[in-house]
Amino acid sequence: MTVTEPSKTAVDLVTLTIDGIEVSVPKGTLLIRAAEELGIAIPRFCDHPLLAPAGACRQCLVEVAMPDREGNVRPMPKPQASCTMTATPGMVVKTQLTSPVSEKAQRGVMELLLINHPLDCPVCDKGGECPLQNQALANGQGESRFTEVKRTFPKPIRISTQVLLDRERCILCQRCTRFSKEIAGDPFIDLQMRGAHQQIGTFSPGVLDFHVDLPYPVVRTSEELEPTVESQTQGSTKDESRGASHDHVTGTYAADGIATRGEAMLDESGQPFASYFSGNTIQICPVGALTGAAYRFRARPFDLVSSKGVCEHCAGGCALRVDHRRGKVARRLAAEDSAVNEEWNCDKGRWAFTWSTGADRLTHPLVRDPETGELEPVSWPYALEVAAKGLLKAREAGGVGVLPGGRLTVGDAYAYAKFARVVLRTNDIDFRSRAHSAEEEAFLSHAVAGTGLGVTYAALEAAPSVLLAGLEAEEEAASVFLRLRKSVLKGSKKVYSIAPWASRGLIKLSGSLLQTVPGQEATALGSAAAAEAVAEPGSIILLGPRLTESPGAYQAALALAASSGARLAWVPRRAGERGAVEAGALPGLLPGGRPVSDPAARVDMAAAWDVESLPSQPGRDATRIVDAAAAGVLAGLLVGGVDPDDMPDPAAARAALETASFVVSLEVRASAVTAYADVVLPVAPPAEKGGTYLNWEGRHREFPQALTSDALSDGEVLDSLASEVGVWIGLRGELSGTAELASLGRWEGAKADRPEHHTVPVAGTTVLSTWSMLLDRGRLQDGEPYLAGTAHRAVARMSPATAAQLGVQKGISSNVTVFNDRGEITLPLALTPMPDGVVWLPSNSPGSPVRSKLAAGNGDAVSVRLAGDQLMGA
Amino acid sequence: MADHNSNETSSDGGGWLSAFAPIAGFGVTFATMFTKVVTEQYPEQKVPTAPRFHGRHQLNRHPDGLEKCIGCELCAWACPADAIFVEGADNTEEDRFSPGERYGRVYQINYLRCILCGLCIEACPTRALTMTNEYEQLKGSTRAGLIFEKQDLLAPVLGGMIPAPHPMVPGTTEQDYYQGKVTQSVSEQQEWVDARHGEDEKAGKVESVKGGDR
Amino acid sequence: MGIEEKLPSGFMLTSVEVLAGYMRKASLWPATFGLACCAIEMMTSGAPRYDLGRFGMEVFRASPRQADLMIVAGRVSQKMAPVVRQVYDQMVNPKWVLSMGVCASSGGMFNNYAIVQGVDHIVPVDIYLPGCPPRPEMLINAILELHQQIQNMPLGVNREEAARAAEAAALKAIPTSQMKGLLR
Repeated sequence: MTVTEPSKTAVDLVTLTIDGIEVSVPKGTLLIRAAEELGIAIPRFCDHPLLAPAGACRQCLVEVAMPDREGNVRPMPKPQASCTMTATPGMVVKTQLTSPVSEKAQRGVMELLLINHPLDCPVCDKGGECPLQNQALANGQGESRFTEVKRTFPKPIRISTQVLLDRERCILCQRCTRFSKEIAGDPFIDLQMRGAHQQIGTFSPGVLDFHVDLPYPVVRTSEELEPTVESQTQGSTKDESRGASHDHVTGTYAADGIATRGEAMLDESGQPFASYFSGNTIQICPVGALTGAAYRFRARPFDLVSSKGVCEHCAGGCALRVDHRRGKVARRLAAEDSAVNEEWNCDKGRWAFTWSTGADRLTHPLVRDPETGELEPVSWPYALEVAAKGLLKAREAGGVGVLPGGRLTVGDAYAYAKFARVVLRTNDIDFRSRAHSAEEEAFLSHAVAGTGLGVTYAALEAAPSVLLAGLEAEEEAASVFLRLRKSVLKGSKKVYSIAPWASRGLIKLSGSLLQTVPGQEATALGSAAAAEAVAEPGSIILLGPRLTESPGAYQAALALAASSGARLAWVPRRAGERGAVEAGALPGLLPGGRPVSDPAARVDMAAAWDVESLPSQPGRDATRIVDAAAAGVLAGLLVGGVDPDDMPDPAAARAALETASFVVSLEVRASAVTAYADVVLPVAPPAEKGGTYLNWEGRHREFPQALTSDALSDGEVLDSLASEVGVWIGLRGELSGTAELASLGRWEGAKADRPEHHTVPVAGTTVLSTWSMLLDRGRLQDGEPYLAGTAHRAVARMSPATAAQLGVQKGISSNVTVFNDRGEITLPLALTPMPDGVVWLPSNSPGSPVRSKLAAGNGDAVSVRLAGDQLMGA
Repeated sequence: MADHNSNETSSDGGGWLSAFAPIAGFGVTFATMFTKVVTEQYPEQKVPTAPRFHGRHQLNRHPDGLEKCIGCELCAWACPADAIFVEGADNTEEDRFSPGERYGRVYQINYLRCILCGLCIEACPTRALTMTNEYEQLKGSTRAGLIFEKQDLLAPVLGGMIPAPHPMVPGTTEQDYYQGKVTQSVSEQQEWVDARHGEDEKAGKVESVKGGDR
Repeated sequence: MGIEEKLPSGFMLTSVEVLAGYMRKASLWPATFGLACCAIEMMTSGAPRYDLGRFGMEVFRASPRQADLMIVAGRVSQKMAPVVRQVYDQMVNPKWVLSMGVCASSGGMFNNYAIVQGVDHIVPVDIYLPGCPPRPEMLINAILELHQQIQNMPLGVNREEAARAAEAAALKAIPTSQMKGLLR
């Protein structure tokens, strides 16, 4: 809010009179906000506190009088739009409450707005929560004097597979166009035509002169590419998308078994529109002009029940409003939380919630029948009995490894940590069911665990410069991206990114690229350029998920932070990762940042958990758990929400699940683990349990249970399992784990040591660079074809010189095959300015499952060849 | 004393009539025997209800058989007993149930909640929902059986109607439907339906209808 | 209940079933159980205009021990629930329950803490009759439907079989908690 924004200097107040009441507001406050201070609501449509004033709808007209040079208060000749006029000293404002002129002006504007607005409220999704409807009822004319035929347009335009535009209903407030330009940076619709024909329209070739020959797959020659290494990317924010279009390939796909619905319109760059934030325009549209395909006609606002929610996807922790009806989530909206997501969220958080209601949802415990080898639905007591017996047996036979996964609430992660130590008597627990390293664990123990709320969104906004190390903000932490973009657009903020190439997200942040070969991030972090980037006091370094595969990067980041005074923050990719670190779901870490290696910490925890002693030997990390299970050393595995395809080596993970003599799986849906499990215990998805996520800031994001359900959370299941074993861990109830963890307090003793530097030489012809896209093949995006249609198209990226070596010919679209001894991936090639000898693939996009096909990660050596013609259509 | 008084009374009333006094009340009974019987022989002879009696609901159709319900849920909103559940959906060219873009995909009335008050039919913007005088279907041995679904509530297909889904009458808009300009189904619609039933030529026919409709 | 329960399955039992059903359906003795407005319509049904006497059930017994049909007419409050159950328990077998009106059947528009959301939470209901209140014709209609049920009521081994079949069907049915979205 403009009014409450903190200011560094003392706030200059101006005093004005609104409806005869004197009020003092900070200088620069808009009249409409000043009136809000007094509790006077001036009707408005285009005004939005987070968007720049536009004065487009004219609904907020008020009568204004101002003192002239002699000090005589003179009324302005006509009513003024209060959403664009700032308060000045001595102003006298009369709103519709006291002024017949304002009242009449507002009535008149309302009548004009309604002239062409169709009377289709019964079929409109906005009906029931529509500002226009409310205002027309509250202070509109009872009858229309307009007897002519209303302007009509063909019914909805499908802007993307997800967003539909109904121009008849539009009142031209421009909230959507302003949002997409000012907040998201993906302009896809704009005002067109003049006068009575004025309308919101797409960038279709019929209206505007855009090229339609979609350059796909994009192949550009080196002459067209300007050098961007170490230089600020060209292009101001206004025409950035056109500037960016030369190397940015977006679009819809229907590959790899992911069904999408329909086709998208072209955006400003002449490519199918695929913004990650388009859902927000639907939410802020004050009429039903923009609607979402997934929610279209599904329910009415008045029969929805709203619950608070927190997004379960990335580590951003965006506040959500979960609207549900009769046990079914109908839609999710971004809720307002000025400290975290303001009023926005990404499309994944908004629409990817159908995954938990698919046909593969587990409702009953399953136990593998020893005779048939099939999983049979059984009762809870029987399943718990079998699981407890099997786990005890496995514990005696060699031990049980625990892989909880990175998507747990704090309470559930704590339950896993406690269950492993107290019941299974092992430290073999690791939530990192993804690429990981010993260096990362040391870094987490040293600099993340037990640090509480560190760098915040507000700090990010205030920081003079931010260095993104191995983090693609738009793809991997969308709310971080929006906050960074907000401060970039405000002015002096600088964003630097350590990456091989400048992504569209970085260009939208007007960021500078510190170009790096994957795996060499440590060198980049140690370079003079990086030191210069964060030289200004108050700078922040964000460490992304990619660094874990970059030897020495964490150490270099700590060194850079120490030398420059910049603050560090770890931005993981999954919602539960930070919480799992705090809960002690790591082999070398007990809850609250207590190192396993510290005897005092172990005694501390043993006392808290009421056990004799805790296992003193540091446990195995996820890779070693997998190896030990595959080798038969570990007899059992307790697996939470883990997709083997996310593991560093999916084949090894599957082999371990196959070999382990006893596997217990706690899952919401039948998964790849289910096929290997001996006992499957169904758990609740986030909508059906309450809990707390810790977002990347370290902020507690508590959410209540939205739906009535008899599904149990992971913590409750583990509690029952422990009781069956004969151990009381006392974690029944949705927040008991969180509460117990909070009562333990933080570790005050010595921190874990700084990470050691391990250098692994990179060999091979080409180095693989990879990161995940926001919308990809992830299991949490299943069941939402409308959303899948807005994902960016998967391409392979190489530098022109590297491509030329492969024999890519100038101007001809080519597919390239990236391969190693494990498998191969073939994708269209997009030439991108990036270091030679590097190929980039999206981690988990359709057609590009890097982990499961190549078992390789960022910085690994791969080989590339030009794909044969027969692979062109693949 | 009492005896004395009663003697006096009988002598005053006079004579033999006093002997009938104890059974005089039966006069009403005897007289009633000769009046018309008021009992309605319900199952055998059904007396019509008042014309505005609130009976079972009905989901009406346009004269060409398309449904009037647009799935707007205003009936569900108006319902004081929360007895109605509606879920709308998009009409597509392949599956058109009502004119316009929206139709009621799910329509349920729970008659074990419904108090037959009629607020829903007042709320209906398209007169899709009305009430009949029918009451004999309203009984059952299970609770689930008394939740009437869309197919139980839809009006019968009368002459000139083709049951949905089928396209709108070519050349008309939804406005024409509401203004009563559509009076019956036309041959194009019948052809479309026939084509749809014919398995082999389904795809081709649907395409041609799509083209013609636009 | 009696000798008919001991009969072997087959022609004999079927004949007894038909006979017993015929007798039973024509001699229902309702217990007075008017709880609210529906009771007025129930009384009207017994009065000359609709005359339940035509079906042999004009005598509403004041004692549950002499009745075999409980017409629950009206909303059942939580406080009344034990009374309803006790009256039901006091009735002699075979006995039937008719839930008259939406309030008795599901709570009706009184979806609140004070009203039992359907009398089937307390006693097994044989026939539900919606309406607010149902007109006497509807009550008679429901009673005739109940007559059909009584006529076809199996006995002895047939009854056990029917009970087993009903239980198997109930186990197969989707639990109402899983019927997402729809009314239930």
